[in-house]
Amino acid sequence: MATDKIAVSGFRHVFQTEAGPVQATGTIDLTIQPGEFVTLVGPSGCGKTTLLKAIAGFIQPSEGTILCDGKPIKGPGRDRGVVFQELAILPWRTVRRNIGHGLEIAGASKAERDKTVARLIDLMSLTGFEDRYPHELSGGMKQRVAVARTWAADPEIILMDEPFAAVDAMTRLTLQEELARLCAATGKTVFFITHSVEEAIFLADRVLVMTRRPGTIKAELAVPRRNAGGRDWDSFTADPEMRDIAEKVMHLVHAERV
Amino acid sequence: MTVNRIVWRLLPAAPPAVLLLAWSIYWAIEQPPPSVMPSVVGVIATFGELALGDRLGADILASLGRLLGGAACGIVTGTIAGFVAGLHRPIAAFLTPLVVFFNAISGIVWLPLVIGWFGVGSALAIFLIWNSVFFIVFQNTVLGVQLVPEVLEYGVRTLGASRWESIRSVTLPGALPYILTGIRSGLGFGWRALIAAELVGATTGLGQLIFSGAEYHRADIIVAGCLIIGAIAMAMDRWLLLPIERRTVQRWGLIAPDRSR
Amino acid sequence: MRLLRELRILLPFIVLIALWWAIKVGAQVSDTMLVAPPAVWDAFVHLVTHGILAEYAASSLYLIGVAALISFGIGVPLGFAVGANRYAARALEPFLRFFQGISGIAWLPLAILWFGFTHTTTLVIVIYTLVVPIVFNTMVGVRAIPENYVLALQSLGAGRLRIVRDVYLPGALPSIVVGTRLGMGYGWRALIASEMLVRQGGLGDLIFGARTFNQIDRIMVGMIAIGCLYIVVDRLLVQPVESMTLARWGLLRQ
Ligand SMILES: Nc1ncnc2c1ncn2[C@@H]1O[C@H](COP(=O)(O)OP(=O)(O)O)[C@@H](O)[C@H]1O
Ligand SMILES: [Mg+2]
Repeated sequence: MATDKIAVSGFRHVFQTEAGPVQATGTIDLTIQPGEFVTLVGPSGCGKTTLLKAIAGFIQPSEGTILCDGKPIKGPGRDRGVVFQELAILPWRTVRRNIGHGLEIAGASKAERDKTVARLIDLMSLTGFEDRYPHELSGGMKQRVAVARTWAADPEIILMDEPFAAVDAMTRLTLQEELARLCAATGKTVFFITHSVEEAIFLADRVLVMTRRPGTIKAELAVPRRNAGGRDWDSFTADPEMRDIAEKVMHLVHAERV
Repeated sequence: MTVNRIVWRLLPAAPPAVLLLAWSIYWAIEQPPPSVMPSVVGVIATFGELALGDRLGADILASLGRLLGGAACGIVTGTIAGFVAGLHRPIAAFLTPLVVFFNAISGIVWLPLVIGWFGVGSALAIFLIWNSVFFIVFQNTVLGVQLVPEVLEYGVRTLGASRWESIRSVTLPGALPYILTGIRSGLGFGWRALIAAELVGATTGLGQLIFSGAEYHRADIIVAGCLIIGAIAMAMDRWLLLPIERRTVQRWGLIAPDRSR
Repeated sequence: MRLLRELRILLPFIVLIALWWAIKVGAQVSDTMLVAPPAVWDAFVHLVTHGILAEYAASSLYLIGVAALISFGIGVPLGFAVGANRYAARALEPFLRFFQGISGIAWLPLAILWFGFTHTTTLVIVIYTLVVPIVFNTMVGVRAIPENYVLALQSLGAGRLRIVRDVYLPGALPSIVVGTRLGMGYGWRALIASEMLVRQGGLGDLIFGARTFNQIDRIMVGMIAIGCLYIVVDRLLVQPVESMTLARWGLLRQ
């Protein structure tokens, strides 16, 4: 237990609204180990975002506890970076200044900031766009900037909420491979939410499947790592074991269709 | 949770309550002369006095009549002229500098000049309101007409619609959100111009009510008059402009350009 | 090319002046109603060479400038505070709307009772007129900022001050510009109207005083000066902000 990076136990959340209480999730227990990439699939509205926001510290759970490194979560913090589904990079900052924003907040020197930003610009194929504003970029590039910004701040845990959902299908494949490579290179602990079964399996060390609203975790499947450099789609689709896992997860998810 | 909802409901009453309380406390401690600073009770009594007298009704009617007359003229002329200019770029290009200039001096600035044309009275106020409303409605209509996507017009034209038909069924509804925004802000300026005009250029109306309060050193009448002005403005916004906007803009799934003014 | 464009702006005014002159001469309008363009020019030359126009204009500009600074200092922070808290916003929105419906000029008689026929009276009225739209629009601007911008910054470790500086301020800027523009539109008119009644200098005083002596030529010079100054202030204040920031950030949709 002491080694869990994240430990969620007995979590359940109810939103108090003007129209009355809204139960957003069922009771959820899960743990995430250091360096693990865990993905969560589930139908929309089942409470995925709510769970992620609780881990991020944006909302206080109505029930249950969430521990990070054995300590209860008090609020948002630099140790847990978040990449949102909706674009959350600032339109009034250039690519460079968006990516360096976390370091700027942490008070890093300009030299240090430039070095980190340059490395991420390179890793995320953003070279040549350093001084552009977000509105001059395509959707895929904007999301690359959001990912790079989170990585640049160097948190121990990264929480991603359907980050590629709004990106076109072709670009999404590229972004997924890039993310896999980035994770392999940096060894971060990642909790990744999606409603795409393929994406969940492609990226994961472990896939969690949620039921429909109010969501609970109904199954979990391990996905073996094949090589140290991160997966690519060609070898992934050719791998029969991956196809098996995909079929299983698909079956589990289809049972939750609304 | 129900407590939450009650608090939420009651929140808008908090600032007026705080204001009234602060005002009452100040009044109780300082005891200022009522001619300069009326008490809450004094203002309430004045409301009663005004409501029972026949002056207030006549003043409200006079002000609203002028607003209606001036705004109607401004909206009709502004929309028509805006449509003509919006559909013909050379006309818009020619008129734009003039409109920018006259918009800058619309309203009360005209008072010293036109008081010599119209004398004191309703005609003066109506002119100032027309003048406040026209240029804003014109500018917004031109913008709205020019921003209607051409594809939409082509769409109905390929269905065999005449130019007139396409203006009626595409350009007008497309430009409507902008026209409504223009009307809203035009009325804001018109309402202000009216009160200012009535202060010096009329013998009736809410502006005169306040002015007479100043003449007789009756601060209570001034405060009561201002509150009535605010209430009328709010009522017009709530029960006239907002419903019109809802009916048209929201029903057609158009986005109102800006609800902030 | 440049010349042509400038001519295009001037041409409508030339046509207008010709029309005005034609009406004046053709309809034999009396000098107490309307004067011919040359008379206005003469009055302009007189007012400028005697330094009268400059003095009155300076008074107006000084007051609107001071009022704008104070209104900004009060309005923007208050707008942030209200916009960042949904309870405060819920409480204050109808209140602000109500007061936005009471034009500053309606309070003028009360202000005169309190502060006499002084610049203070004018200043108070203009600040009141400016503050309400600035607070209101700042609040609306803050509330329109996507929540994720704030959450993302929090997870990068940002504190309150940082969020105000990096998110609220630039994010609410388009709306603050709208509010300022509207406020200046109302405020400039409130200033002129207040000057007319307070009679302590300013362009409103100039044109209203000229009325007393039926000096139509002076009134028209004053009106033209008011229009030109307003346009200059609007262009100097708003357009640089728009082109330097909003256009570059791609926030200038409509
Ligand atoms: N702030 C909120 N207030 C009230 N209800 C909410 C709020 N956020 C989410 N919900 C509700 O909680 C449920 C789960 O939402 P969410 O966690 O966003 O689902 P998911 O991310 O899986 O699509 C939904 O029914 C949603 O309507
Ligand atoms: Mg979600």
